[in-house]
Amino acid sequence: MGLATIVQTIAHTLDEEMRRDDRVVILGEDVGKRGGVFLATEALFQKYGPDRVIDTPLSEAAIIGAAVGMAVHGLRPVAEIQFADYIFPGFDQLVSQAAKLRYRSGGQFSAPMVIRMPAGGGVKGGHHHSQSPETHFVHTPGLKVVYPSTPHDTKGLLKTAIRDDDPVVFMEPKRLYRAIKEEVPEEDYCIEFGKAHLRRKGDDVVLVSYGATMAETLKAADALHEQGISAEVIDLRSLLPWDKTTVCRSVARVGRVVLVSEAPRMANFMSEVSATLTEEILDALLAPPIRVTGFDTPYPYAYDREYLPGPNRILKAVQKVLSY
Amino acid sequence: MIKDSQLFQPFSEKPIRLMGDAGEWLGSFELNLDSDTLLKFYRDMLRARLFDERLLLLHRRGQVSFVAPSAGHEAAQVAVAAALKPKKDWVFPYYREPGLLLALGVPAVELFGQAMATRADPNRGRQMPAHPGSRDFNVFTVASVIASHLPPAVGTAISMKVRNTGEVVVASFGDGATSEGDFHAGLNFAGVQGAPIVFVCQNNRYAISVEYHKQTAAETIASKAEAYGLPGYLVDGMDVLACFFVMREAVARARQGFGPSLVEMQVYRLGPHSSADDDTRYRPVEEVETWKTRDPLARMHRFLAHRGLWSREEDLALRTEIEREFRQAVEDAQRAGAVPLEWMFEDVFAELPDHLREQRRDLL
Ligand SMILES: Cc1ncc(C[n+]2csc(CCOP(=O)(O)OP(=O)(O)O)c2C)c(N)n1
Repeated sequence: MGLATIVQTIAHTLDEEMRRDDRVVILGEDVGKRGGVFLATEALFQKYGPDRVIDTPLSEAAIIGAAVGMAVHGLRPVAEIQFADYIFPGFDQLVSQAAKLRYRSGGQFSAPMVIRMPAGGGVKGGHHHSQSPETHFVHTPGLKVVYPSTPHDTKGLLKTAIRDDDPVVFMEPKRLYRAIKEEVPEEDYCIEFGKAHLRRKGDDVVLVSYGATMAETLKAADALHEQGISAEVIDLRSLLPWDKTTVCRSVARVGRVVLVSEAPRMANFMSEVSATLTEEILDALLAPPIRVTGFDTPYPYAYDREYLPGPNRILKAVQKVLSY
Repeated sequence: MIKDSQLFQPFSEKPIRLMGDAGEWLGSFELNLDSDTLLKFYRDMLRARLFDERLLLLHRRGQVSFVAPSAGHEAAQVAVAAALKPKKDWVFPYYREPGLLLALGVPAVELFGQAMATRADPNRGRQMPAHPGSRDFNVFTVASVIASHLPPAVGTAISMKVRNTGEVVVASFGDGATSEGDFHAGLNFAGVQGAPIVFVCQNNRYAISVEYHKQTAAETIASKAEAYGLPGYLVDGMDVLACFFVMREAVARARQGFGPSLVEMQVYRLGPHSSADDDTRYRPVEEVETWKTRDPLARMHRFLAHRGLWSREEDLALRTEIEREFRQAVEDAQRAGAVPLEWMFEDVFAELPDHLREQRRDLL
């Protein structure tokens, strides 16, 4: 499809999947005529009509709950939650119904559906347009959680999500929606969940991140490069499942790791990665894994960039692991 | 329970109107408001309109990151404020209501301070623009999460009843909000409790791009009250007098212990949903133009002129006065200075816990 941004890639991929499989339907607030508030569903309503691109009433419970019912009956719904912050009015449907349906019915019923949502801060949106609720999702057995950071990965992961037989929470890095343009292949390709993307090779320190903070992490890696420090950079791409093998292999080889995520620090996904590293490759660690995260405050409006784990905070953490 | 002595009956087929398009009085009773009150309605509406315009200007200059224009909603908001006892009654607003807050008396400098995250904001710069709140004025700080303020509003009303304080709550929201579970939870509980609350829906026919008939199959929002055992009033929300008289009655009923009601004020959002929206993507320009001819300010202006209470000269003078007030308020808000970085860590809890103390130290 040529050069494309993440948000263009989403619209393009949804279009391809809707063309391929007429069970795929889209539902959400403003996804129809307006093409979504970020234009992630642009032109699809005009192309596929109101039965396949459904502008819903303003109710996340209705969106997610109805998607469960549609999925049970044979459709392949792709629900959009306008901002990840608005998952909470629909959280009960996500956690109590979507996530547990297969298990509680002994495998008789399941809810193959995708719940897309722009996530993350740095857009001057205050706490209700900036949060990173991934911990809630990975802490809910039955949900898969994906969070790409590039147009290329967005296409492959979204296709996998739509074709997956379980509910997939598909988080999108909203501050990168239009920040990166790259060549996105025309052909149909899927990217397996649980396979990290090695973004840089390096020998002195490993930086692990995912989603929107990949941008800050890569910036930090560039700055390190200028200082003569070579950083290996891993983009997890999916959090459940996550690619333990790749992370452990890199960290075991290099011995030092900094883990970057903008979600609040308490029970951050990176705490899970850190615990895994210490449990599985303690002997290979030359320094304790250090997390660089958002703070344990609601996402603030003022200083919303300072809240993020920006390159400077990442560099400080790198200094720390290198000084061991 | 609805008393016979009331001026208005719930569930009317047509919206209640007291002022015609040409500004003529349509009421079946004698208008018993003095000219000061009538002029204050107009003044408050004009302040709301000019406040919006000032914010849009600040937005264009990059000094405010976001605006949710309220043009078209002024009559509804000003009428709500006029029906309340400021600083006694409580208000649970949504994000499109500068007119309500200004009319209640919230100083413009606080609202500009909120929009620019300066120390003039009593909410300490924690929220995005259009999300004010004021403990001083019993204005519950706005949350973006649609309808999430409705159950708390009901709780406050129940507390007023339990503590017998004689206060009333008004909770306001848009048509889109009526689809959220919290709307139903709130109205239902309020009905059961007979709580002193008036729910005000400013139905501007759109929730961003989603038009009314995709939001609900019900003919009116007011009709939804019936299922919760509340009276529901359908009002022309661009008629400040109709909004005021209906609100006054609903508030009095709540205050006297006769329970909650739902008032649907039919308005129209004359601008885009927000500074981030392009409304030409989903609604015809002609529709917007048609609604502009029903501008609530112009109508009230005609009403006042009709009665010899208002002239073009007075209008210009008032505009100039308000513009001057707002320029000063913006300056004062800026002069207060940006909120400091260390405030990020305060107010998460009553006291700063150790882990936040550490995180603050790491950042500063
Ligand atoms: C729970 C929730 N979901 C989605 C949104 C995103 N959103 C912001 S405003 C809006 C439309 C609200 O429409 P309405 O209630 O009619 O009020 P209006 O903006 O028209 O005044 C939406 C969907 C939100 N703020 N909260």
